Amino acid sequence: MAHFEFSDRPLDAAALHATVEDRTCGGFASFEGWVRDFNDGRPVERLEYEAYALLAVKEGDRIIAEAMARFGVTHARCVHRVGELALGELAVWIGVSAPHRGEAFAACRYIIDEVKHRVPIWKKEHYVAGDSGWVNCERCAAAPTVTAHPHGAARGHDQDHDHDHGHDHATPRAPASVGVHAPGLPSPDYSRQRVLPEVGDAGQARLRTARVLVIGAGGLGAPVLGYLAGAGIGTIGVVDGDVLDTSNLHRQTIYSLADVGRPKALLAAERLRALNPEVDVRPYVQRADRSTLPPLAGGYDILVDCSDNFATRFVVNDVAVRLGKPAVAASIYQYEGQLQVVMPGGPCVRCVWPRATRPGVVGNCAEAGVLGPVPGVLGSMQALEVIKIVLGLESPACTGVLLVDLRTLETRRLRARRAAGCAGGPCTELDPVEPAPSLEMELDLATPGAAADFTVVDVRDPDEILARPLPVARLHIPAARLAAGAALPEGTGPVLLVCARGQRSLLAAEALVARGVSARSLRGGLAGQPRHA
Amino acid sequence: MISVDVQYYALLREQAGTSRERVATSAATAQALYEELRARHQLTPEVSQLRVAIDGEFAGWHDALSDGAEVVFIPPVAGG
Repeated sequence: MAHFEFSDRPLDAAALHATVEDRTCGGFASFEGWVRDFNDGRPVERLEYEAYALLAVKEGDRIIAEAMARFGVTHARCVHRVGELALGELAVWIGVSAPHRGEAFAACRYIIDEVKHRVPIWKKEHYVAGDSGWVNCERCAAAPTVTAHPHGAARGHDQDHDHDHGHDHATPRAPASVGVHAPGLPSPDYSRQRVLPEVGDAGQARLRTARVLVIGAGGLGAPVLGYLAGAGIGTIGVVDGDVLDTSNLHRQTIYSLADVGRPKALLAAERLRALNPEVDVRPYVQRADRSTLPPLAGGYDILVDCSDNFATRFVVNDVAVRLGKPAVAASIYQYEGQLQVVMPGGPCVRCVWPRATRPGVVGNCAEAGVLGPVPGVLGSMQALEVIKIVLGLESPACTGVLLVDLRTLETRRLRARRAAGCAGGPCTELDPVEPAPSLEMELDLATPGAAADFTVVDVRDPDEILARPLPVARLHIPAARLAAGAALPEGTGPVLLVCARGQRSLLAAEALVARGVSARSLRGGLAGQPRHA
Repeated sequence: MISVDVQYYALLREQAGTSRERVATSAATAQALYEELRARHQLTPEVSQLRVAIDGEFAGWHDALSDGAEVVFIPPVAGG
């Protein structure tokens, strides 16, 4: 029985249900997606689904396999419709059975979220008004972005939370702009690494389910990202708030001169997807700091510090130690590099560098100079350490610091002990935890200029908006769409989300913040607004 | 007097003009040795900004030196 499949015929929920029944299972959870009569303010009459089946089925199967591995469920199945569907018809059916209900619920939720996010499916809506438009599904990052349309097509599909092409998912677009797939593109081939006894099928499966967050897409980050994507790491997050500068290119060779001025996180994501369409790449165009990194890091297994300053280095270290996740840190100075792998319970960056260092001692590439291959070597070592961690291979780099002098070609391993104050317990050197800033804010929308710092986004459903319009709102995007990954138009800036009671808007704001967008939620929603005479 | 093998990294290597040297010293601790070398090479970082390793292990500044020890002075580096 296929785990994930498409059907061009109406789905029979009862028949599908029967395929996951099992006497060993005490819990069954199901999700059904139906064709709705409204989308983003426009009445819909019927719709069509279209998928790039070759790739979509692979990605769908992978999602099911991940859900089964992650939640330990017994059966999981997803069937998605293609072709023409009428209102009320079943568009997608997911069923999961497991010994207990908790796993079944969690796996079912995981599958629908990931399918909407990762599987390339398009929807053509036919509106009551007689026209129609293609709506790209949540994202098509899994689809190969072909070189024939390096900008139009590739960016058209680059929907992973970070639009840089100024349209809203909700806006119907002409089919011509939907983009180009490349049928016949060969599948990634891991045979050269799989043949290693330490990798094999089991190791490759571990790489595929690994989630790695790379902080910094510069000299160190470039080789890290390339090798991790090449190795088939399943999910790669890229955090970088900088745009590409011409002076970067001598050492950041995954980019092109034509890319100068664009955000590096988005460029890296494009490059990695072209390198390996199987990888789920998630770009975050932002600096990693004490408020932005913790919500991102929770969704990843390993952090890779490719930053170029000590403040970020401490932040990455502290977040990793606190969350009990491994971190792979490197830094360079001219011809030298330092590599440190922080494993839970082992010496961390603060055991080696207890005090934040003053600027001036710590040189950067601009002041001190650097030859391109130096971060290339250290970044390659970081990528290797990440792969070793995923494969369960021991790393001597976790006992201290490896000093690499690429002029003399000497390396030196220095053992470090955990700081005296935290032997056997939690690290005592970490910066104190700051309470997570509340995303909720109170203001009176009727006061002129009260929300001037924000673009107000009405996240209610269209019928609610019709019943009680909110003139101050500049954008209308339902909360569920934002939570599911819909992006804001480019250059929107900080947003204030508003719904009826402040609950949906808070959830959507949390989802946006997790993707690196500056978002707040109006506490109490419209119901909490003062009454004006 | 003891003889130690001193290695410099990053900024210290630049300022000392060498990556390693054999030093005859009467310094009893890592800190005393560094202060001696700091004066000789006009090294700018203070001990509070550096780490020292003796014989392959990060050490304290007050740790004693023995004849033939390998002493490594390491500034933090942050380039990426």
